This record gives sequence, structure tokens and C-alpha cells, in this order.
Amino acid sequence: MSMDQLRWRPTVNERDFIERALQSDLRVDGRNSFDFRTLKITLGREDGTSEVQLGETRVMAYVTAQLVQPYRDRPNEGTLAIFTEFSPMADPAFEAGHPGESAIELGRSRAVDMESLCVVAGKQVWSVRVDLHILDNGGNLIDAANIAALAALSTFRRPECTVGGDDGQQVIVHDPEVRDPIPLTIHHMPIAVTFAYFGEGNIVVLDPTYKEEAVMGGRMTATINSNGDVCAIQKAGGEGVMSGVIMQCLRIASVKAADITSKIKKAVDSYTTEKDLKKVKRLPVSVPQKIHVTDVTMENKGDGELETQTQTAKTPSNVQQISKDPAPMVEASSEEDAQPVTDSSNAEAKSTSNPHGANGESDEAQEIGSPKSLKDAIKPKHKRKKKSGRS
Amino acid sequence: MESRRPPPSPFVENYVVPGDVVLDLSEMTNQTIKLGAGLRQECDTIQATSSGKLRLSKPNKYWVESSQKRYTPSVEDTVLGIVVDTKPDNFLVDIKGPNLAFLPVLAFEGGTRRNIPKFEIGTLIYARVVKANSIMNPELSCMDATGKAAEFGQLKDGYMFDTSTGMSRMLLSSPTCPVLEALGKKLSFEIAVGLNGRVWVNAPAPNTVILVSNAIIRSESLSGIKQRAMVENLLQKLT
Repeated sequence: MSMDQLRWRPTVNERDFIERALQSDLRVDGRNSFDFRTLKITLGREDGTSEVQLGETRVMAYVTAQLVQPYRDRPNEGTLAIFTEFSPMADPAFEAGHPGESAIELGRSRAVDMESLCVVAGKQVWSVRVDLHILDNGGNLIDAANIAALAALSTFRRPECTVGGDDGQQVIVHDPEVRDPIPLTIHHMPIAVTFAYFGEGNIVVLDPTYKEEAVMGGRMTATINSNGDVCAIQKAGGEGVMSGVIMQCLRIASVKAADITSKIKKAVDSYTTEKDLKKVKRLPVSVPQKIHVTDVTMENKGDGELETQTQTAKTPSNVQQISKDPAPMVEASSEEDAQPVTDSSNAEAKSTSNPHGANGESDEAQEIGSPKSLKDAIKPKHKRKKKSGRS
Repeated sequence: MESRRPPPSPFVENYVVPGDVVLDLSEMTNQTIKLGAGLRQECDTIQATSSGKLRLSKPNKYWVESSQKRYTPSVEDTVLGIVVDTKPDNFLVDIKGPNLAFLPVLAFEGGTRRNIPKFEIGTLIYARVVKANSIMNPELSCMDATGKAAEFGQLKDGYMFDTSTGMSRMLLSSPTCPVLEALGKKLSFEIAVGLNGRVWVNAPAPNTVILVSNAIIRSESLSGIKQRAMVENLLQKLT
């Protein structure tokens, strides 16, 4: 009885109104029929955690891994398991079951490479576990949960381990401080796109809100990746839909999936950049100013986004200040890429040192009389880019 | 002799948090101060127990006004409820409070056992709270104090959405809230505001309704000038 009391019911007025508005192609929050709500991906505190906000829906994902024995019929592969938790603060009366669909889709698809998770065939494999916490249910949990899980899996790093020991079978797990943890191998990103049907299957909208979900006649989720492969289609009950409508939905879904994939990738890239920056900064604390830093740090981070590391050079030549964070922007929202990070940290530089026309160029940053160590650290990557003297 | 009225607390019209000392009684003698919600007397001081804005109604009534999504029923509030169940004697109505409220079947103008209104589940009702305390289910009525209907009763058509209690109070304040004023200049619509954080809007065209409801939802944290600017923006986009 109390569950019934707590469950929100739509009034007759709302039901009629939403349907009537949809007849004239109007959605209650002013969107077009095939618009997603604003998507914001926050990656931040640790590797493997993400928080996604899709309109009013908020989902948080957390990835962990541990060594286990593999399944007998698949001795070479690790496992991926997805768990969802509903807290009453998300929705007063949560019925378990439906976001589990997204969990199933993500797990069933072969997005994450399982064989790379194998350590010792038949004995020890990595078991990756994704925990999804629903923080706020504003409608369309499946899509939000899917994006959160993908973002978290992309930034997750598992500890490196080698097989060694006396008998050659012992697995040594290396501390993250000693050896860098390695990312998971993700082949592709399956993105879930949910459609809601109203009025006997004639009217279709994308990304339903909470109220639209309560009033809709049926729902379909299509999981597509950016290559255009349809990974899964799920339609559980509800009204019947014509096949022509389904094909149209799939076409729209593939467009949206590409869009969302690029947003996730952007967020993950800028997050990775931030992390790399922090790693570089750690070294100068132990290295005296005059000596040029060894290239060790450069080799490890062999990816191309290091041009943004110029920010470390901009801090004044005080060793203590170098270790403070240049730009407190841990959040990588989907609309920004690394560029604004550079600007804000240069703005900070202006206040601490004499003003210079900072425009994100590494030359000018280096002119602040930063220690030689940092300049030399940046030099190898930038020799090809900046021809003018950095002095 | 100085004015008999106690000097107003320095916190009036400012935000207070629980524990703030709002008034010091040691200086005042022989004066009565009336305390409303959110205030408590501790020996010689008056302290706030909930966070919100401290309000003063001359000469001597103080209370703390806070804005939440949940509603605490109190008498004489007009609220919008959703019918959840019907019983022989009452309708069970959800008013966003901790308990369901009872609406007696006879609490309508000219209501007798013969003409009981038929409300199906999900009907939206505009009613007045008659009895409310924390232990029992509150009781509603669709008549005003004199027994007339006075706009209470079922609301037909239109669209309803939820806001916070502070927003409802702002919408009902006089002089008219800036967003409603700006919308009313260009559009014609009907609106019913419940103090429990529910608002109902009706207009002949659906896109007017959508515009009005979105404008109200977005104006919660904006100042008066910004509200007007936002409404202008929205109206321009439509036309």
C-alpha cells in the first residue's frame, strides 16, 4: 500500500495534454521529437569513475577489477559484470528490473575485449565489475546508464601484473605507483538510444522524460555503435509498432550514436590529458631547478595530447608552486575540449607573473622564467611545432 | 519612552541557518513577540531551527520561510491534489505531503449523498486544507469557509507540473510575480497554483501551455529583471 502511495501517478490532465501536444509535434519541455537532452559527462576523481547527467537523470558508474578463476568453458577470457543500484533518492518507488536491460546489453555485446583480461589461462583472469548507481531518475535511465558505464570503462586502469615467482605460475600484481596501470581494450562503444511510442505507435520521440515515460504506450531501445552496426534492439511489451517506423528509428539512432560517441571520447580524452599533466608535475618536486629533467616521463606517455602540457611551464620558477594544480578544472564537460583548460590556466599565470600575451602558445609560457627542467621536459615534443625561440 | 515595538532583528529578509540567534530577548521587556515556523525560544534568545529567509510581519510576527520540494500541510493552504483512491466517505488525495489527505465526499458546495461527484483516479483537484497536524492524515475541502465553491473542485484539461514550495509562494505573491506579469501581457492563459508545489496551466493552444510552464520552471532562481528578459526571449523565439 505504501509503495502505491509513493509512486507518482500522472493526472488525467497530463496524459491528455502530453498526447495532444505530441499530435502537434510539441514536446512538453520544448524539445524536438528527436532531440536528446543536454548531456554532461563528468570524469574525475579516480580512474574508472564517471557521472553522467542527461537532462535531469543522473547516473554514476564505478569500475573495479579483481583476479578470479575463469569459467570452465572460457578459460582464456575475463568477465565483465554490471550491477545496478537504485537508491530511493532517485525515485520514491523504484521497481527493480528495467535498467537491468542496459546492463544486459552492455555485457552481452563484445565491446570490451575479454581475452586481454586473461593472465594465466585457466587459472587467473581479471573480472571487471561495473557498479551503476542511479542518483536521479528523470527518465530514460537506460541511455544514461549506458553512457556512464562506457565512460567509466574507458578511463578505468587495471593494475599491471606479471607472471613470475618461483614456479612461473605466481601472479604478481604491481602497485600502481610502481608500474602504470593499463587501460582496458575496448573495441567499440555500443550506445543505447531509447524511443518512446505514443498514440498507437504513430508518434515516436527520443529520450523520454519521466512524465513522458509514465504516459507512453511502448518503448524501444536500439543499441548502435559509431560504425553503424546494430548491437541490440530491445522492445519489451507495450504497443505494437510498424516495421517501417522501426527502420526509421534505427536510422536516427545511428546518427545520434555517432554524436554521443564523439562526446564520450572528447570527455575521456581531456580527462586523460589532465591525468597525464598531473603525472608530469610530480617529478620536478624532487628534481633541482637547474638540471634538465630526464626524458623518462615523456616516453611513458606516448600519446599525442601532450601539447597541452605547456601549462606546467607557466607556473613561476618556484618549486613549491609548480606542484600546485594549474587548473582546478577536473571536470571535463562534453562541450569543452582541452583548449579552455589551457586558457584558464594561462589566465592564472597572468596574475602570478608579468603579463604576457598568453594565447596558449608554449613559447610564451616558457618565457616566464620557468625552471629549465620543465622547459626541457616539454622541448622534445615541441621542437617540431614551435620554430621560434623559446628562450 | 522609546517605541514599544521591539527593534527588528538584523536578520530580517536575510537568510538564516539553524542555530543563528535571531533576537536577543534580554534587552526587551514587556513585549510580546509571535514566533512562526522555524523559530524556537532558547532561554533568552530566539534561534532559527530551519534554514531559509527570516520574515517579519509588523508589529511582531517572525517566521522563517524555506523552500523545499516536499510539502508540510498546514491549515488554510490552498493545494492541488491528485485523487488516488475513492472510499465511501472520502476521496484519498495525494498532496505531496507525508500522508495522503482525505477529501470528504460531502465537502462540495451543495453536496449531498445523492450528488456525490465522480472523480476517477488521476483527477486533479484544487482544494483547501482544513485540518493538518503531523500525526493524522490531513483533511481537505472543496468549499471556502462560507460554504461556496469559490473555484475549488476539479481542474479540467491543461497541464500540471511540480515546483518547490518557495516558487509557489513567489507565484502567488502580490504584487504579481514578474514572470507571470510578463507572460500575461502577451499570452492569455489560466493558472492555478497550489502551495504544495504544484502548478496547473491551461490555454487554448498547446504551445502556449508549454511556453508558460517552461518559463515558470526556469524562473525559479532568476531575479525580477532576468525573469522578464527570459520571457521576452522565449516569446520572440515563438513569433
